[in-house]
Amino acid sequence: MRLDIRYRETWLHQTNPTFKLLVMLSVFLLVLFVHNPNVLINLSLGLLLLFFFYTGYPMKHLVLFFLPFFVIFVSTASSMTFFGQGTTTWVRWGLVHITKESFFRGMHLGFRALSFALLGLLFSLTTRPVYLFYSLMQQLKVKPKYAYSFLAGVRLIPVMLEEFQTVQNALKVRGADEGGPVKKMKRYAVPLLSQSIRRAQRIAIAMEAKRFSEAKNRTFYYQIGVSRYDVIFLVTMIGLIGLSYYMASVFPYFPLTDVR
Amino acid sequence: MYVASVDELRLKFPGTDTLLFEDVSVSFTKGEKVLLLGPSGCGKSTLLQVLSGIIPHSLDVPMKAKHVRIPDNWGYVFQDPDSQFCMPFVDEEIAFALENIGVPREQMKERIEQLLQAVDLSVPPHTNIHTLSGGMKQRLALASVLALEPDVLFLDEPTAMLDDEGTELIWKTVKRIAHDKTVIIVEHKIEHVLDFVDRIILFNDAGEIVADGETSTIFHMYKSFIASNGIWYPGVWEDYLQQKKKRATNEERQEIIRLHEFRGYRKKDVKIHVPKAQVQKGEWIAITGKNGAGKSTFLHALMKLIPTDGEYEVEGERLAQTKQLARKIAFVFQNPEFQFVTNSVWDELAYSLRLAKRGEQEITEKVEEMLKRFHLEAQRAQHPYQLSMGQKRRLSVAAAIIGGQQLLLLDEPTFGQDAKNTFALLELLESYREQGTTIMMVTHDEQIVNHFATRRWVIENGKLVREETVIMEEGEMRCEIGYSLS
Repeated sequence: MRLDIRYRETWLHQTNPTFKLLVMLSVFLLVLFVHNPNVLINLSLGLLLLFFFYTGYPMKHLVLFFLPFFVIFVSTASSMTFFGQGTTTWVRWGLVHITKESFFRGMHLGFRALSFALLGLLFSLTTRPVYLFYSLMQQLKVKPKYAYSFLAGVRLIPVMLEEFQTVQNALKVRGADEGGPVKKMKRYAVPLLSQSIRRAQRIAIAMEAKRFSEAKNRTFYYQIGVSRYDVIFLVTMIGLIGLSYYMASVFPYFPLTDVR
Repeated sequence: MYVASVDELRLKFPGTDTLLFEDVSVSFTKGEKVLLLGPSGCGKSTLLQVLSGIIPHSLDVPMKAKHVRIPDNWGYVFQDPDSQFCMPFVDEEIAFALENIGVPREQMKERIEQLLQAVDLSVPPHTNIHTLSGGMKQRLALASVLALEPDVLFLDEPTAMLDDEGTELIWKTVKRIAHDKTVIIVEHKIEHVLDFVDRIILFNDAGEIVADGETSTIFHMYKSFIASNGIWYPGVWEDYLQQKKKRATNEERQEIIRLHEFRGYRKKDVKIHVPKAQVQKGEWIAITGKNGAGKSTFLHALMKLIPTDGEYEVEGERLAQTKQLARKIAFVFQNPEFQFVTNSVWDELAYSLRLAKRGEQEITEKVEEMLKRFHLEAQRAQHPYQLSMGQKRRLSVAAAIIGGQQLLLLDEPTFGQDAKNTFALLELLESYREQGTTIMMVTHDEQIVNHFATRRWVIENGKLVREETVIMEEGEMRCEIGYSLS
């Protein structure tokens, strides 16, 4: 099983990973405190644009990545719409009670979930873990000890997925793929964990055998710096937010500014 | 002057009763090429780790020594190609070593290319390590160790997980790059090493040094000791065949498997295609081919672990599900550990029988018989994970075939096993074959194909392209074999 999908490098890939992380975190926080659904819808649309046109992945994959989050969007929005409280009743049908307030809150919540998901996707699709950790070491002075441990861990994920499949086949052949969830868990967990723990220890020893812990003047293979792409990124994000607010006040979708 | 030495070493693994080493002293001079030889589990790798300082600096094992001299600049290549890298790409992995010793960034690209050239690894530097074969991974491991510019190289069974071709390439590379370095080697397959090392140190089961001296002297004087300890020495097959009993040929011709335009798929791509093939009862079919040709996939398809189409009959029946097939076919995976589902050897053997709801008495009888046949009587209460490599392998075969299946599929069962365990396993399989069990086995080992298989199927690029009958030599002597198992 391979996890590598071909993609084209875009300016989002060229942005400094640490900087990108910090900007995205601030947008994340900002979204938490936006109470105007119009702003949120505009922002989500903007992020959606970035996601579909500037991550450099083929459309087929993008749609696939997006699908689970779209389901989350629909389910959060609809459950709040159907079951939320409100005073201006639109539809009442058994347990379902749609009010004007619950509808707006539902929309708001849905778009909030969507923008969180898009922020996460944008970041993870355009950031190689290796660059992120190099950048964290260089810009935020994260200790190499932690950075490289994470990187070694990232390398183990595809190996574990492969092993999971092997265990699945082996259990099938032995007729041991039935039984309760606890029993099944144990059957998978024991071989997978014991294998991973041993492998992790061996990798750790191999790393130390390459003088990892003795390194005093560590140099870096990748020099991750700041470039004009970071400026472009910051301007884009600020522009996006500004535009969202401006459009929300000039061309609002709904005639309200606070869902609380 | 010694570059590495240890004086009166005492070492004990926590949880064991006996000392692994008791007052062992050994030293190495500059430029020496030394081979440490001994039975599996005698502590050779541990000694290598003490000499390099991995014990006790990285691995905390209680040890005491009068004096240890660790080389100033050393490199260590480990056995397992999959657990010695921490980065995803070839260039990043080598760069990791360069970073550790503080090589300036501007020089790294050039150094990486030189190192890849030195180990004859002709891939673009930015290649995903995941896509390399085992042999290439080990050469990458060598390259990243060379990046440290070591004076002393420790090689801890670097070819244990490799096929013949990979093994040969590794040693060719080592010979080319290490002529001016001190090299200390632990290895079980010594054919390609003997003409490189000038000194052999021989250990016994108890971790004591039996002999220490010039290669040719030691190899000739202690040949029988080497042979009895499961080491793959040159001529091991000839010696073994001398005492192997003649094969009983199976005359009855009864079809057990029939394939016609059989295809196996992974993600909708045809990964294995068998235009037409048949297997007779009592045959031993060796499935051979290059890495990635589709040999394992073929076995998976036969077990219907992947989607298939085309005609496929087992004993005249068409079976659609893995579950139904598992009643007729036993399957042994490459890594035995993944197959174990219980907490003791006894339960492991009883598992399939209990699943089939056999009577308790029948189960007891059958399990006892298997314990004896597979030499696992002393381990009956142990957890399968605590067994040695050879024992695990035997248990996985025994547990797979205890249901009385007439067909046995094996995926490289002798991989990484020492000579003693390999021969023991092959003989067990042969004894089943003589009783009419059919064996289909993926292997890289030409000797096994020539001396055990009755037919060879060659798979190339996902297609069965050739069938060859293996001609058995005349004049093989009949006598009981003398490989004792522990």
